[in-house]
Amino acid sequence: MSPDDKRRRGRSLSDRPVGRRSLLRAVGGTGVAGLTTGLAGCLGDLGGQGSDGDDGEDGGDGGDGDDISITYGILSPMSGSYSSLGPNQRRGARLGIQTVNENDDLNVQIDGAYEDTETSQEPALQAADRVVQNEGADFLMGAISSSVAIGLNNFAADNEVIYNPGGAAVPITGSECNEYVFRAETNTAQIAEAVAGYTVNNLGTNVWFHIADYTYGESVLSRVRSRMEEENSNLNVVGVSRSELGAGSYDTYISDIRSSDADVAVLGMTGGDLVTFVNQADSAGLKSSVTLMGPTMTFQSVRNALGPAAYGTYGGVRYTADTDELDNAQNEDFVSAYTDEHDSPPDNFARVGYQSVLMTARGVHEAGSSDPQDVIDALGGLEMDTILGTNRFRECDHQAENPTWMGELTEPSGGGPADVGLISKVEGPDAIPPCEETGCEL
Amino acid sequence: MVLSALAQQVVNGLVVGMVFVLLAAGLSIIFGVMDVINFTHGELFALGAYFAFAVASTSWGGFWVALVLAPLGVALVGGAIERFTIRPLYGRNPLYHILLTFGLVLIFKDVIDFVWGTSRKFYQTPELLSGQPFQLFGVFVPQYSAFVLIGGAFVAGVSYLLLERTRFGLIVRAGSMDREMVRHLGIDIDRYYTLVFAYGAMLAALAGIVIAGRSTIEPAMGDSVIIPAFVIVVLGGLGSFRGAVVGGLGVGVIQSLLRSDVVYEALRQDFLPNLPVPDLEGLVVFLLMIGVLLVRPQGLFGSPEFHDPSGDGELLTGAGDGVLADDTRRRLGYAAVGLLALAPIGMGAFYPVYYVNSVLVLVMIWALFALSLDFLMGYTGLVPLGHVLFFGAGAYTSVLFVQEVVPSVFLAILAGVVVSAALAWVVGYLSIRVSGVYFAMITLAFAELGYQLVFKRADIFGGENGISGFDMVYGLGSGPVVGELTLLGEIHAFYYLVLVSVVGGYLVARRLMRSPFGSVLKSIREAEDRATFLGYDVTVYKRRAFVVSGALASVAGSLATLHNGAVSPSSLAWLKSGEVIVITLLGGMGTLYGPMIGAGAFFGLKEALLAFDIEQWRGVLGVVFVLFVIYVPEGLVSVPSQLSDRYDFGGGGEPTVDPTPEAETEVDD
Repeated sequence: MSPDDKRRRGRSLSDRPVGRRSLLRAVGGTGVAGLTTGLAGCLGDLGGQGSDGDDGEDGGDGGDGDDISITYGILSPMSGSYSSLGPNQRRGARLGIQTVNENDDLNVQIDGAYEDTETSQEPALQAADRVVQNEGADFLMGAISSSVAIGLNNFAADNEVIYNPGGAAVPITGSECNEYVFRAETNTAQIAEAVAGYTVNNLGTNVWFHIADYTYGESVLSRVRSRMEEENSNLNVVGVSRSELGAGSYDTYISDIRSSDADVAVLGMTGGDLVTFVNQADSAGLKSSVTLMGPTMTFQSVRNALGPAAYGTYGGVRYTADTDELDNAQNEDFVSAYTDEHDSPPDNFARVGYQSVLMTARGVHEAGSSDPQDVIDALGGLEMDTILGTNRFRECDHQAENPTWMGELTEPSGGGPADVGLISKVEGPDAIPPCEETGCEL
Repeated sequence: MVLSALAQQVVNGLVVGMVFVLLAAGLSIIFGVMDVINFTHGELFALGAYFAFAVASTSWGGFWVALVLAPLGVALVGGAIERFTIRPLYGRNPLYHILLTFGLVLIFKDVIDFVWGTSRKFYQTPELLSGQPFQLFGVFVPQYSAFVLIGGAFVAGVSYLLLERTRFGLIVRAGSMDREMVRHLGIDIDRYYTLVFAYGAMLAALAGIVIAGRSTIEPAMGDSVIIPAFVIVVLGGLGSFRGAVVGGLGVGVIQSLLRSDVVYEALRQDFLPNLPVPDLEGLVVFLLMIGVLLVRPQGLFGSPEFHDPSGDGELLTGAGDGVLADDTRRRLGYAAVGLLALAPIGMGAFYPVYYVNSVLVLVMIWALFALSLDFLMGYTGLVPLGHVLFFGAGAYTSVLFVQEVVPSVFLAILAGVVVSAALAWVVGYLSIRVSGVYFAMITLAFAELGYQLVFKRADIFGGENGISGFDMVYGLGSGPVVGELTLLGEIHAFYYLVLVSVVGGYLVARRLMRSPFGSVLKSIREAEDRATFLGYDVTVYKRRAFVVSGALASVAGSLATLHNGAVSPSSLAWLKSGEVIVITLLGGMGTLYGPMIGAGAFFGLKEALLAFDIEQWRGVLGVVFVLFVIYVPEGLVSVPSQLSDRYDFGGGGEPTVDPTPEAETEVDD
């Protein structure tokens, strides 16, 4: 038979020999029988009636000393444009979960479920679905990109689970806030408090703003500029330039800044953009005439990537592993445990993972229940000890009242990535903008 | 003062441009000589940086050693890629090269992640180049930039001489004109192709190392250069080395000039009215690309030294006779739909809710998206690289409609269809003038335009945060909210909305295919010239197909947005265009249902891998995909017939006993 004949010959059930047919019937019959019996037993669960999103929960009473067990979904950008930061967030959260589980004073046992947001909204929402529906998670932590975090904000409200965002944009606990969101990460307004005043009063009053053309950049421009204006009436904004997000070359802007009268350049960019800018500015010799200040300059990943190019720049600080500065017991335990496990001190993103889990666990303990509504009632405004000192998720917007610092990047004795010297501190209640200004109505 | 500022920006632009040249030259040469559109170029660029980092981190290594060794290493990788994965594909339609290299991108990404981790790396520039910048006539030139300029020019010069003045270059150019002839002359042209690919890879690696010193080393660095590289190659002319040089330097200088406040201010005062240039920067590049493709598709230096206009292989579709008879296939179809309709009932009892409400919904949405692409690709032979534009247009339009007009989900989807269809008409009108690779590029440019627009206009589209927190209702003005209406337990009405839409889309597409319109489309795919000779206005038919395809994609986009509860620029990311092509090919083009099976396979495999905690699922999928492109290009739907051919499933599976003994002695087959 030629190949064409074979292809043309149709196959239908009537071609099969009789023996096979009866076998099929028998198998089919048993199968159906089995299925129906199984079905009958599961009628109550059909259509997912049995699982209402938090299956496996005891919920209720922890008051009798039994541990309340919860599942925490940790969603970090392990791939995509923020993949250099995701792993640390995951490590911090994991350590936080471990710490809670080993802590006898907290009646909480946590099961962690770790996923990848891919630095993009859709995969992040998919991952959130996965942990909430498959693992029965009632608590979520994660994202670093603010746009991903906002997507998860809505997810949390729709699915009635508590969410600790890792994004820093103000709207996350501002115009996009909802009662399920509790943020332990420091937002851009809190950082602006620490950097604006010091910069305009000490680094120079002729200021050039260079930002990346997206929401974060714009928010740095508007907040830092307005805080500077309030702090010092001599502020003179010499120029404002915007670059494309992800632009690989900043020579143009650097040349423009150099030929202006600017004393200090405020950089509203982060990540790879910031690293590239500072690299090229250093290469062009800009630092000899203009001081560079960027709110995110002090990030470990930025300092590691810049090496000597970062010496002599300034930035905002959200967390320090320096236990002389942050000398409370929790931070000391955190730093030593993290350093033991990972051979390097924790950075801001690890801190956010850790702090989110610990603060929320405290809320669960206080509520005596894992039901998100009970936790919300207990956690809002609850004062507790954290690695950043005495702290709480503020009632009106669920933003943690984190302190912030101004930092100077200096050359360490052995060379390598810059050290961060802390210059001034703004206490938590002072750094956070007033409730009326946030745009959040809880 | 202005003059020196101008000179400064020109110099800045040349430095940036030189890196573009290294990138674009490699890409252009590879296309010109081998007709291969190399998406892997971005990853080879990144690999160059990482190899250099690895070499520089050793005790015997350093900047200069790395500068020599790393490109050689990447050249070896490039040669291996050509030898083992691309060579089997010669003679096939260039689409398969795009697909193959796309699959390789997925693999490389995960390999880089695995070997070096995701954190940003520090790359030490040498002492020699770290001093104070040079100053000439008021123009500052950092030492490293001077190195880039001089070194880059040297490499470009050597490459040019290699291609123009050596025997190697002569053979390579001859081979691009007529491969067979060169072989008949006794030259093993295949070995030369390997060298060409390796050389192109080496140039990309050099660009990566240069960037590492000026910027940073991170896993996603390839993504940010691949699209600009393609733009420059198109501007300069696909296959033209000269074009890559002029295009690269030109784009670098123009970009620099446009960015500079000082220059811009001077220009503005003298020449231009209030042009919001900074706003347009992202758009200008793609508008330029579209303009060039429409007016002079061969670019500035077109009909260049390397290009083989012929050699358009056909698109291998999964259509044609399979193992199953038509009515069996129809019954299978009913069974599939039936299973899908019943699937939600088993939730909770037999399998977790997640797999139905999340995974199956996603599979169905992407099945519709892939179906829309197959309508175009599998039946007209047009391969768009920017199909995500209509997906995203549907997504954004439906959300904006709900926010501004009425929250009806049906009207919102309809609005999306209308807008996407109109957009498809316009884009199609402009794009279908060109064909093949140029068509792919121009659709990509349109999609990127859409992305930039949505990203920039935060006031309308929400910028990079997108829009979320909207509610759609089943009804015309009010009614039960989508996502909250459940039928029983966790069984959402939304699931059935998606199912109905997908089945409906399939039926519509199939109906169109069986109509006279569809027959003409199929004939265009089979033999376009013949269809023209028969008197059909081929362009009009293609355009109509494009519109239908865009409309179907828009429905998928609207449904995806409903599923997510949010829309963001990622709905317009070019990577999605690539993924949908992958899925369509995986399933089998030209069958309409094939891509739907592809969607199931793609997401099913991803979920299975994630269930086993394999975070490198992308790399695994990449491997699967590469194997499919090479060995099973007709997709999953062709597997049964291929297996039956191979293993001869004749007569119930038992060996057929030949009734006529004489047959055995006949000399045949």
